Parts: sequence; C-alpha cells; structure tokens
Amino acid sequence: MATSVRMAGAMGLLLALGAVSGFAQHTNWTGYYTLASARDLAGTGLKQDSPGEKLNDLIVPHLQPWAKARMEATDGVADDTGGVCLPDGIFRYPSMAGRFIWLEERDRIIIAFQEVNTAGVRRIYLNASHPKDPVPSWNGHSIGRWEGDTLAVDTVGFNDKSWLFGGMEPHTEEAHLIERMRLAGNGGFLEINITVEDRQALTSAYSYNRYYKRQPAGAEMPESVCNEDPAPWKHWRNEALKKQLDRSHIVK
Amino acid sequence: MKTLALLVLGALGALGQPNLQGVYQSIPDKAVLAGGLRNSGSPGGIQLLPTAPHAAQSKDPWKMCQPVGPFRMMAAAGTKIELAPVSTMIVMLFEDLSHGMMRTIYLKRGHPQKLEATWLGDSVGHWEGETLVVDTAGFNGETWFSDTGAEHSDALHLVERIRPVLKGEYLEYKMTAEDPRALAKPATYTRYYKKLDTEVTDDVCRDEE
Repeated sequence: MATSVRMAGAMGLLLALGAVSGFAQHTNWTGYYTLASARDLAGTGLKQDSPGEKLNDLIVPHLQPWAKARMEATDGVADDTGGVCLPDGIFRYPSMAGRFIWLEERDRIIIAFQEVNTAGVRRIYLNASHPKDPVPSWNGHSIGRWEGDTLAVDTVGFNDKSWLFGGMEPHTEEAHLIERMRLAGNGGFLEINITVEDRQALTSAYSYNRYYKRQPAGAEMPESVCNEDPAPWKHWRNEALKKQLDRSHIVK
Repeated sequence: MKTLALLVLGALGALGQPNLQGVYQSIPDKAVLAGGLRNSGSPGGIQLLPTAPHAAQSKDPWKMCQPVGPFRMMAAAGTKIELAPVSTMIVMLFEDLSHGMMRTIYLKRGHPQKLEATWLGDSVGHWEGETLVVDTAGFNGETWFSDTGAEHSDALHLVERIRPVLKGEYLEYKMTAEDPRALAKPATYTRYYKKLDTEVTDDVCRDEE
C-alpha cells in the first residue's frame, strides 16, 4: 500500500511537472538544427523560399530609396559586420548559414548559434511582454507564445548596426520581426515563417520560409570561432574602424 | 510498469540534484561572504616548469577578441555566466561571448576516444551529491593560463567543481588545472559567483571602438 501511495504521489508530481513545463502542450524541441539543404528537403514537399543569396532579390524591392542608396554605398568586407567578427544580427545569419542548438526551459527558449561570435544567442521569453523601452541590441528582445503546435515569436528592440542580409540592406531600430515556428516534415524539420517590417527602411513588409533539419538525438554542435586566424581579422577590423573614423570626421 | 518505475526514479533522482539554472557573476576578490568564504588563488600564481613557453603580449587572445579558454575566463574579474541545464547537458553562456564563448557540458557521455583539439576543449560532467564535477580535455593550445602570456600545452586537463552555497545565493567554483608539459604542479583557484536576478545582454568585443 505504501509503495502504491508513493508511486501515485510520484506520478502526480511528474504530471504536475509536465503541465508546468509546457510538456503537456507540445513535444520538446530541444536539439541541434542545421539549415536544410535542397537535398535534405528532397521528397518532403518542403522548399526554402529565396534560398542563399537569392534572398537579396526578395528584400531589395522593399527598400526605401535612402536604404537602397546606403546599400549601394557599402564597401564589401569593411562594412560587413560578420566579416569582421561583429554580430551579423538575426535577420542575416540564421537565414544564410543557420546552425544552432534549441534549448527549452519552462519560461524561455534559448537559441545558441554555432558562430556565437557573430550570431550570438537569442532568448525567447514565453508568455511575457516586451519592456517599454528595450535597450537596442543586435538580436532584439523576443517574446513568444504557443498557438497549438506553433510558436509565435515577436521581436523588437534592435540596434541599427546589422544588415537585413548579405547584400547589406540596412534596417533601423524600428525593425520588427514576426516569426511562426513549427515542426514540419514529420517532425524532421523546424519551419520558421519570417516576416520583417521596418516602416523607416522598408516600403512594405517581406516574408519567407526557412527550414532547419533536426539532427538526430545526441548530435552535438561543433565549436566555431570566427576570428580563429587573427591576421585577416585584424586587417579587416582595422579597415572597418578606419571607415567609421572617416565618417565621424565628415560629420564633424 | 518497470519502465514507469524507471521514469519515476529518474525524475526523483534529477530532483535530488540542485538546479543550477540562472545568471551568476564572480564576486570581487576583496569581498568576504558569510563563513569567511572568499576568492582564492589566481592564474597569475601558477608554478610553471622552466621549459614552459611564454608568448608575446601582442599575441594575447584577449586583445584579438578570441576565446581565452575556461581557465583564464572563469577567474577573470566580473565574469558573468548563464547556466542552462537542459536535457542531457548543461550549457554555460558567457555575457562576454567573444572571450568566453559558449561551453556545453555533456552529462551522459565520457570524452571521445579521439579528441579533436578545440579552443574550449571537450567538457563532460557528473554529479557528486550537490557538486557538479566537470572534466575538460582536448584543448588546442591557442589560449593562455594567465594574462602575462603563460602558455599551456594540448595536454591541459581541467577539473571544475561547482556547487551552490549560502542557500543557493552563490556558486562555489573550484578550478584545478593539470598540464605535465607546462605546470610544475597542478594549479588551483576558487571563485564565488553571486546569483543575479537579471538577464545577460549583448557584450560585443570592441563594439564601440
């Protein structure tokens, strides 16, 4: 009898834990994900929208004239934040070379990118609100809520130091990222529907899908260091800093 | 029924270990906590072999926004970390991502037989009561022991013992480094990390320069 009572108590505890953690609502997505290639997606009926550099073709028609002019005035690697091991921002890295671990906690999801120097870490706060005046940051402030099997994520509070993508399309601190995330392809892929709004830099919003392959259980994300070779890093970082300095002189 | 019992026992076992989730920051060396707990030892106090190599200050990984390795990073003043225990691992995220990067401590495996040399090494952990014991090996030799250029070899082996103290308000962090090719004797230090009610933020190396 005592054993049965203890077992029932433990079962109740497990059920309570499940309810609190959200486990009852959806399968835990914790794991290692990599941007799905065309080969990965073959036969699934899933397809990346505007894959690779083609994403620039989707974005550029939405740029305001000043934003397009600034894009055209950029100077290759010296202006390329990722190229000098500064953060890429979340508009760019996840859509181009996204490799990350997805870590689910009770009230929060952490997305830690493999190129942690340049892509950093995202934290999505569940069932929370944005702060009134979020400090502008490279990855913004993300909140999320579950809508059935879909995680709806809203992100604001960006700085204006990163680009929308590799063509160096600018955005402003008004940028607003709306994402809908769900598992697709029999649970083998994470689908993210991405919408970007920025009333200062864009004439209208643009949207696209990205798919990330869920790696087998136990797969580990390897280490990646952006500036492993300091010689080219120092050269390009100095070029970038020199340009910033020149601009500050012009302003003066 | 047997499976159910195992599940229950597993859950209870996990509940018996402290939940280290949270944000922590190392306390100043001059601070003294209840019971006289305080930081002790430092990377600068290590005893090197006469043959241990020294690197030029101009090659300091810290100055080049490169990872500085766990031995130097965990002892640095004001280091802020976030621990995220999830599934079969504990992820350690540093606010200073460029220098600290992200460490993953695997709880359900040992080191691979053939270790690939990396900046942060391969970390595996297990619980001894309330203490998380982390064993790290497989370093690439690019990082230093100390700010003054004392280099370690790829034989560096770290053991970290981490446990909550003072009702969970602090973490006690004890580091031991062994390196038969660079150290005359194992190097140790202790740091206390205060649990913070805050989030870590973007801290970009030389962001504002």
